Amino acid sequence: MAKSYIRFWGVRGSYTAPFKTHLEVGGNTPCVEINIDDHVLICDAGTGIIPFGNKLIYDDKHKELLILLSHFHWDHISGLPFFVPAFHSKYNISFFGPGDSKEVIKKYIDNQMKAPYFPVGTEEWLAKISYLDPKQKKLAYGPMEISYYSAHHPGITYGYKIKAKNKTIIYIPDNECLFLDKSIKEKLKGFTEEETTMFTKMNREEYQAEVNTIANTDILIHDAQYTPQDYEKKKGWGHSCYIDVVNMAIDAKVKNLFLFSHDPNNDDETVSNIHRECQNIITEKKSSLRCHIAKEVLEISLD
Amino acid sequence: MSEYKRTVVLVDDNVTSHKFFQRSVENLSIDLKTYVGIEAAMEYLANNKPSLLFLNIIMPDKNGLTFLGELRKMPLHSDTRVIMITSKDYSQDRTIAFELGALDFIVKPMSMRSITSIMLEYIK
Repeated sequence: MAKSYIRFWGVRGSYTAPFKTHLEVGGNTPCVEINIDDHVLICDAGTGIIPFGNKLIYDDKHKELLILLSHFHWDHISGLPFFVPAFHSKYNISFFGPGDSKEVIKKYIDNQMKAPYFPVGTEEWLAKISYLDPKQKKLAYGPMEISYYSAHHPGITYGYKIKAKNKTIIYIPDNECLFLDKSIKEKLKGFTEEETTMFTKMNREEYQAEVNTIANTDILIHDAQYTPQDYEKKKGWGHSCYIDVVNMAIDAKVKNLFLFSHDPNNDDETVSNIHRECQNIITEKKSSLRCHIAKEVLEISLD
Repeated sequence: MSEYKRTVVLVDDNVTSHKFFQRSVENLSIDLKTYVGIEAAMEYLANNKPSLLFLNIIMPDKNGLTFLGELRKMPLHSDTRVIMITSKDYSQDRTIAFELGALDFIVKPMSMRSITSIMLEYIK
C-alpha cells in the first residue's frame, strides 16, 4: 500500500521570508501536498510549490496533479510561474478555485504571467492544463472527497475540507476567525438593550457555526498569523490571532491543529513562543488538542 | 383599500439576523421575506424581483459575492437593488460588490435604525 501523508512546502503568509533567522520554520509562501494512495493534491501554489515541483520532476513518478487554490492573492499563486511540471508535456494539471467560471480561473492564473510581469506566459505551458468548473460544490479525487466553504478574508477565499482514509483534513490558510465577536465588543455601547441581546445571540450563533464547520477535524491547518499585539493594529486584515484559533480548535474538539501562515516578521524563536503559548492555553483548558507548528518539509503520516 | 407593500428579501444564514430585520421593518410598509441560504432564496428570486435585496457575504452554501455575480447574469436581476451584509468590512469586498452594482454595505453589528434608514433611502 502506498504511503499517504501531508507535507508542508510553504508555510509563510503574505510574503516570503528567506532569512537566516527563519530557516527552521521556513520562508516559502503556502503550499501543502496531500498524497493519498499516490493521488497528489496540492493546496495553494505559493513559492513552496517551486521546490515541490522540482521534487516531482526528480522523482518522475506522479503525473496527475490537482491544485486547489484558496484564493488568488499573489502569495498563494506566486510559485506557478516557476512550477516546472507545468512546462512538461507528460503532466496533467487541474486547477480548482473560487470564481464565476473556468475562464475566469484561467484568467486569474494567466494574468500574473503576462508581460510586463513575467517573460513567459501560460501559453508556454506544455502540460495538459484543465480548469475545473468552480460551481461544483464537491469534488471527488481518487479516494478524496473535497468540499469547500467561505473564509473570512478579503475577496472570495475558500477553506477546503478533504475526507479520505477515515480522516478529515481542513486547509484554511487565510481566515480571520471571531471577527464578529470583536466588532460587537467595540460597538456595544451604542446599542439598545434589545439590540445588544440580539447581537450577543447572533455572535454565539456565528461562533457556533464556525465551530461546527471544523468540529472533530483530525487535522486542521489554520491561519495563525498574528499575536494579540499584532491583531490590535491589524484587525480587519483577514488573518487570525493564534489565541482565537487555538480556543476555537479546543471548542471544536479538533484533534491536531497546525499553526499556519506564519507572519513573515516572526523569526523561529517567535514562532516557537507562539506555539508555547498555545500549549499553555491547551493545558489550562485540559484539552486533548495537539498543537503543532507547520514547518517546511514537515511530513505527517496519514496511514 | 389594502396597503401596498414593497417586497424586501433578506438572504442570511443567521436566523437571529432575520428577527433583527423583522423588528427593524415593523413600522414600515414592507413585506420582508427571509431566507437562510441561496437555494431557498432562489425559489422566490427565480421569478420575482424584490424592491430591495439584502445579501449576506459569508454563507455556508455559497459566498454572497459569487451569488451576486450569478444574479446579475439573470435578465430579471440585472438591475435589482442589492445591499450587502457582512461582519467583515474588507475594502476588497466592497470593490467587488460595487463593481457588481451593489448599492451599499451594512457591517454587522448595526443598529435597527440604520436598517430602517437604508430601507427608506433605497426603496423607491
